[in-house]
Amino acid sequence: MTSDIPSFQHYQLAFTAYIRDPLQQPRPKGVPAKRMDVYKEIVLNNLFESVSACFPVAQKVLSKRAWLTLVRRFFREHSANSPMFRQIPEEFVNYVTKICLSDETKLPQYLASLCHYEWVELLVSCMDETSNEVIPNIQGINPMADLLAYKPVFTPTMQLLNYEYAVQKISPSYKPKEKVNTQLLVYRNAEDIVRFVELNPVTHRLIELLHDSTNTGEQALTMIANELNHPQPASVLQFGLEILNSLRSQDIILGVYS
Amino acid sequence: MTIFNHAESKINGVGLGLKRELISQIQAAFGQELIANINFVEIAPENWIDVGGKARKQLDWFAERYPIVCHGLCLSLGGLAPLNTGFLQQVKKFLQQYNIPLYTEHLSYSTDAYKGQQGYLYDLLPIPFTEEAVHYVAKRIRQTQDILGQRIAIENASFYVQAPVSTMSELTFIQAVLTEADCLLHLDINNIYVNSVNFGFDAHEFLLGIPGERIVYSHVAGHYQQTPDLLIDTHGEDVIDPVWTLLEEAYQLFGTFPTLLERDNNIPPLNLLMRELNKIAYYQSKYHQQPLASTSLYG
Repeated sequence: MTSDIPSFQHYQLAFTAYIRDPLQQPRPKGVPAKRMDVYKEIVLNNLFESVSACFPVAQKVLSKRAWLTLVRRFFREHSANSPMFRQIPEEFVNYVTKICLSDETKLPQYLASLCHYEWVELLVSCMDETSNEVIPNIQGINPMADLLAYKPVFTPTMQLLNYEYAVQKISPSYKPKEKVNTQLLVYRNAEDIVRFVELNPVTHRLIELLHDSTNTGEQALTMIANELNHPQPASVLQFGLEILNSLRSQDIILGVYS
Repeated sequence: MTIFNHAESKINGVGLGLKRELISQIQAAFGQELIANINFVEIAPENWIDVGGKARKQLDWFAERYPIVCHGLCLSLGGLAPLNTGFLQQVKKFLQQYNIPLYTEHLSYSTDAYKGQQGYLYDLLPIPFTEEAVHYVAKRIRQTQDILGQRIAIENASFYVQAPVSTMSELTFIQAVLTEADCLLHLDINNIYVNSVNFGFDAHEFLLGIPGERIVYSHVAGHYQQTPDLLIDTHGEDVIDPVWTLLEEAYQLFGTFPTLLERDNNIPPLNLLMRELNKIAYYQSKYHQQPLASTSLYG
């Protein structure tokens, strides 16, 4: 595959192959080991720092050695497509998700979910909410209006998350064996601080029905009352309004287009 | 094509790399004598394009108060995969959005994939110095300049391994690329020194061979001495005297040019860093004259 490239590029391929996998690949011909070691160490160390900074919990639940082995493997096997440094952790999450699905290594089952959960904080902290079209007309939002009568507008940084494990509780003293269906909401508040909120199934369903749809608060709650076969739909409306007002007080709901 | 012109650009004097650790300190000291010698700041587009939230507000704060230089890390001018033109379009938009007159990149590579797929290593790797590499890199610099609609400056990189396939010196390579790409030079004074130790050449002679009329920008930094014959370009120490001497000599030879202090690791408090910025300002005032770049290249 490489016969049609000039010799300087053959050398470059050998050079990076060795940096990525110094145990399996030969050192480029004619290059002193001591000097090559500089690249071997610096490139991996820089990547290790960029990755590790985003995953403090995942690092702790794996042993130091296992974490280093995982990052080494990521560097060896993964072809990262983004020049943006803040997307290195995203590349890592994609890689870990892939190997956890297909892999016979002894990585914990919850690792992909945990890494995703830790990465989402970075994603939301630096998400550029002004560049997308989620809120075409932020000035047109009425923050005080009735959340039942209109469609609530959510803050554009909000992400609804579904995990098979209680990722927010994982620590060296809680490494889950059992799956626990876990629903979270994450968003960036007006002070640019990233907040996670644990959701009960009803709240999660309510936000799901309101987000990316044209449903009003009342329509979504009526649907939930039907789904639950609730004997008193009016109490679902009342309970639901309290949830919506609470979301508004946390700046998760910005208001409505009225 | 827009040419870079000192007189029109606001990039002058002394600059500081915008590190997260320094942002709040600069904001707190803004308007005070302490930081009077910060004339511009430098950012890596790979860290700031399309950021929102707190980082975006910080960037906007600086953009309102300081001229900005973009110094890229991952364009991979010497890399095997095709130039990332999608990324360059993002850079172009970013330069326009923040009114950034100068974009510089390393004469190095940071990708290794082949036939279409980018594989980023997020580091600066040494291009072998061959005729073919000159043509290859120059072509990619021209392509970059065509996409951006402006000249870029390329920085002489530090490195640790001499490629056995190289057929020319680093200086000859730099000269050839500059001529063939017709681009500008971002002269890294510390990198000249680091390479001169790592590969045993005379830094002053190297400097004499630099086409001064192409210099638009420069860096000074500290490095780490691993062994007496191996310096690592960490940007984590104070600038050492031989590097100051080399900067002074460059100003003497070529006239002064905008100069930035790079400090990426082991970052001291701002008041200590300012001593080094003030030292740059002192040398600039000592050798101040019309920069040659704006007169001979574009006059």
